[in-house]
Amino acid sequence: MGNNEGRRSQLLRGVLDLCLLAVMGEGPAYGYEMTKRLRGRGLSTVGEGSIYPLLGRLERDGLVETRRAASNGGPPRKYYSLSPEGERALEAGVSEWQATRDAVDGALGLVKAEVSP
Amino acid sequence: MNEFVDECRREWRRLGVSDPVANEMAADLTADLEEAEAEGGSPEDVLGNSAFDPRRFAASWAGARGVTGPPPPDRQSFWRLPVAIALTVLLGVLTLGAGLVLLVGRASSSIAFATRRIMAGPGPLRIFGPGGRIVVPGPRGLPIVGTQITGVGVHPVAWVLLIAGVVGLGVLAVLYWSRWSGPRRYRRHEGSRTPSWN
Repeated sequence: MGNNEGRRSQLLRGVLDLCLLAVMGEGPAYGYEMTKRLRGRGLSTVGEGSIYPLLGRLERDGLVETRRAASNGGPPRKYYSLSPEGERALEAGVSEWQATRDAVDGALGLVKAEVSP
Repeated sequence: MNEFVDECRREWRRLGVSDPVANEMAADLTADLEEAEAEGGSPEDVLGNSAFDPRRFAASWAGARGVTGPPPPDRQSFWRLPVAIALTVLLGVLTLGAGLVLLVGRASSSIAFATRRIMAGPGPLRIFGPGGRIVVPGPRGLPIVGTQITGVGVHPVAWVLLIAGVVGLGVLAVLYWSRWSGPRRYRRHEGSRTPSWN
């Protein structure tokens, strides 16, 4: 069980930036809001780590734009949204992920065929 | 929650993050933590495992954003430098002086012994004893033995000062090296750190 969680965490670590860019594509969001969006899509293992450093790196790389705006009755929040460069990076990343996933599926599919009765 | 944010602030300050940026990050973090708490969640829902290591989290976040800067000036550093320079000069003078005294003392001792041997001439009075030590008659005919020829008996204080000076200079050199190389090593490490999820 622990090993499975660890593997999933490792796998997610490599594509979490893409996932963040993807949920940002739905509309600007602040940090915790993105965590909730990811969780709503079944990525509960986001709880294994924090997304803030990753958001910081995306901001530093110019893949996201930020603006400070008031939230619903709460204090002003920093909203992240995709920059044009971020949109291109998302498209390229998704293609790369799909190619990788297909290759891995192909390899794991063979293993499954051998194991299955 | 406040403790976590306060600990982050301390780490950001240590890393040289400017106050406006640190305030912004602290405000965002506080707002997210408060929202999670209002929804019945915990800091782990927001921060994951990082909730247990605020310093690492703060350093990782600031490093990923590239907002770390030179560490804030140490209040005592202004006074430490002159004191270090004064100590170095003092120890240097001490070491040189002690070395000089030992050298001069040894040379003058040799001259004095040679002179005294010539003046004493042959007879019952022996200037040099076995092993080059000096033997002179005491008040009641008992011999007094000295070790002046090695300089130890003449200038023991000079030897102590020489050793203390050399050791002191060595300690200062080590302290200076560690102070200079410490932040440099850390900065290099920070710069090469790959921003991670955690």
